[in-house]
Amino acid sequence: MDTQLPLSGIRVVEHASGVAAAYAGRLLAAMGAEVTMVEPPGLSPLRREPPFLSPESAVSALFAYHSAGKRSVVCDLTTAAGRADFDRLVGEAHILIDDTPIGGRDALGLSSERIAASHPHVVHLSVLPFGATGPKADWLGAELNVIHASGEGFLLPNGLSADLFPDRPPLKIAGHFAEMQGGIAGALSALAALWAGKGQYVDVSAQDATVAVGAFMVQRYGDGSLEHRVSRSFRYGGVIACLDGHVELLTLEERQWQGLVELMGRPDWALDEALSDPAERSARGDFLNRQIRAWARHQPVDELVARAQELGVPMARYGSPAHVLAGRHENARELFAEANVPGAGACRIQTAPFRFGDKPLPMRDLPEGLEADSPTAQHRRHPGVGQDQRESA
Amino acid sequence: MKPLQGIRIADFTVHAAGPFCTHMLSQLGAECIKIETSLRPDIFRKPHTVYGRTGPASFDQVASNKLSVRLNMKHPKGVAIAKQLVAISDVAAESFRAGVMKRLGLGYDVLRAVKPDIVMVSVSSSGQTGPDSHFAGYAPLFGAWGGLGYLTGYRDGPPVEMRHVMDHSVGLNAALATVAALHQRRRTGEGTHVDVAAREVASSLIGEALVAVAAGVTMERMGNEDYRRAPHGLFATAEPDRWLSIAVETEPQWHALLAVMNRHELAMDQRFVTAGERHARRETLDDIVAHWSASQNADDAAERLQRAGVPAHVSWSAEDIVNDPHLRARAAIVRVAAAGEGERAAVGFPARFSASTVGIERGTPELGEHEAYVYGELLGIGRKEYEELVADRVIY
Repeated sequence: MDTQLPLSGIRVVEHASGVAAAYAGRLLAAMGAEVTMVEPPGLSPLRREPPFLSPESAVSALFAYHSAGKRSVVCDLTTAAGRADFDRLVGEAHILIDDTPIGGRDALGLSSERIAASHPHVVHLSVLPFGATGPKADWLGAELNVIHASGEGFLLPNGLSADLFPDRPPLKIAGHFAEMQGGIAGALSALAALWAGKGQYVDVSAQDATVAVGAFMVQRYGDGSLEHRVSRSFRYGGVIACLDGHVELLTLEERQWQGLVELMGRPDWALDEALSDPAERSARGDFLNRQIRAWARHQPVDELVARAQELGVPMARYGSPAHVLAGRHENARELFAEANVPGAGACRIQTAPFRFGDKPLPMRDLPEGLEADSPTAQHRRHPGVGQDQRESA
Repeated sequence: MKPLQGIRIADFTVHAAGPFCTHMLSQLGAECIKIETSLRPDIFRKPHTVYGRTGPASFDQVASNKLSVRLNMKHPKGVAIAKQLVAISDVAAESFRAGVMKRLGLGYDVLRAVKPDIVMVSVSSSGQTGPDSHFAGYAPLFGAWGGLGYLTGYRDGPPVEMRHVMDHSVGLNAALATVAALHQRRRTGEGTHVDVAAREVASSLIGEALVAVAAGVTMERMGNEDYRRAPHGLFATAEPDRWLSIAVETEPQWHALLAVMNRHELAMDQRFVTAGERHARRETLDDIVAHWSASQNADDAAERLQRAGVPAHVSWSAEDIVNDPHLRARAAIVRVAAAGEGERAAVGFPARFSASTVGIERGTPELGEHEAYVYGELLGIGRKEYEELVADRVIY
């Protein structure tokens, strides 16, 4: 155990089949908590979820990312013996994370009442698409449904994409954005409950968390304005196509606009006296964007972004994953660390979205393939569970 | 009682991401002192015409529940008072460009000297170290730098801008790291400097894609599609701009969808027997679902699909969300009294606790509204001294 990490000494049992709950455990593990994934005999469905680490392999990149720093044991919660093993684990834990749909909890001994009665000390974190209480608590929600139930899906795309495809359906954010907001809110809530010093039940929903980070549209609605993906586009700037990629351009302040005029080489249209009024620029946004887009089409991204930063113009390349992985800044900050992914070998993985002090959080081992997991380690900490795991596996 | 009751935050944050962090902590019960100056108000207090509107942005949401004091940190006495505020706080939060706090004479080393176990939280675009640490940025730039914007979009279209959800996700992550740092302080007696780089939050949200690309796999934009689920998309309904999201994963879900669409015969269709075949022929399948959904009432169809066991939901606008009984029952949407404006909707804390309370107690504070309490009661500055500091534009 690394005693130097923020959450050293905190023990977590995670029973997760979805990204939201797994990400809550992942974030706690990255900060040093000892997280034990409890998998069913058929193993976590996340192990079978794309993307994979190669077109041929069935090693899940999604599982690799979300399981980094965790240990894994198998418990069959449909059997009394499995539930007894599970209870021993939870008895030693500070936090239990579970995402079993509410209708399935009683049968597995995972109801809030049962956990509170057997383990009054534990913070029992429930993470579900729509939460564990309320009229829609039993609704099913994949990532696609949750992000579109939370407002942000309806508001995408905007800018260039909305200009090009005004009649297409609204769009999700890439990956598992909404579920991950549920995971972040879940980890935060569990640590807050633990801080308060008493075991309790904490009910988190990915929808609530995504609505919370969508606070802006809620406030705008209160101000009398219903946000829409087409009308919320920036009046000018935004996603701009260049010679060899796209950049983001956003000038909120006067000096940034002046910098942009310089960057474009002070074209005549931009020197029009009327455009010194920001309200006039906003009113003529379509005209400005036509000019900016026509100019940018011939600019190479790297040179353009470098000059923009010198002139104080907020601009960034739309970096592909390969750009991010090769980024000078990212590598100077050691954002990615090498980890051994069982079945795939060494892979670079982002350790965490934040750091404590100058150094990144260390990469912690991924759970081994189950057969290879050390039964002695299991026995030492949790007598019986390792045995059970070998039999089940 | 709220979980973080007894924790005090000296809050120097501005814009969206940093204030959302301290707003979440304040909903969890931390006493949050927002430190502002009329010399340079939080730019989110001002309208921005580039948004095509004249009202302020999310200021009311993230400022609610906070205590407000004025302080001019360009004045040496202002810096001294800032240190006094940090000395009585557990957390000091800021979201200036990297290096600004140091130039103000309020870097981590200085704050640690006045409060040895202080947890300092710095939220910035690119972090406190590294060659780009001086870069200014906003949410769309974070998404661009971190790869999240690149991967979002239709297959045949350009990247897509991330907006306020990006900022606020940075804030949510920062709140998590702050509470973790408090746990470390409780265990070791030591504070720390939490460094949250918005672009690294963006990349963390596509962590699995980055792992795959690092291993040699190519990843591109895929719209609303999924790697293996089909049908999986947004479907137009009988009502304008009222889209239905459907995500079918399992065999029972597939058969339930066919039952709701009254297309039982497709269960026997050789083209769609396995999940793999359905995914390979997803465009054909999308046409079939779209033909059905075009005559449906969106909300009614979502209800029927859910009852049958199919993951489905209408793509909701803010109006749907603010008025939803489920979100209101969960206090994910709450009413807040705003000064002189009556009540309006706001987002609550996104969790329900069985043995703690959370949430918003007060609306947006007036600039400097809580100076009698903060400067008088907490710092012990007498009436006469306070008036001199106001006259000298230290408290300004």
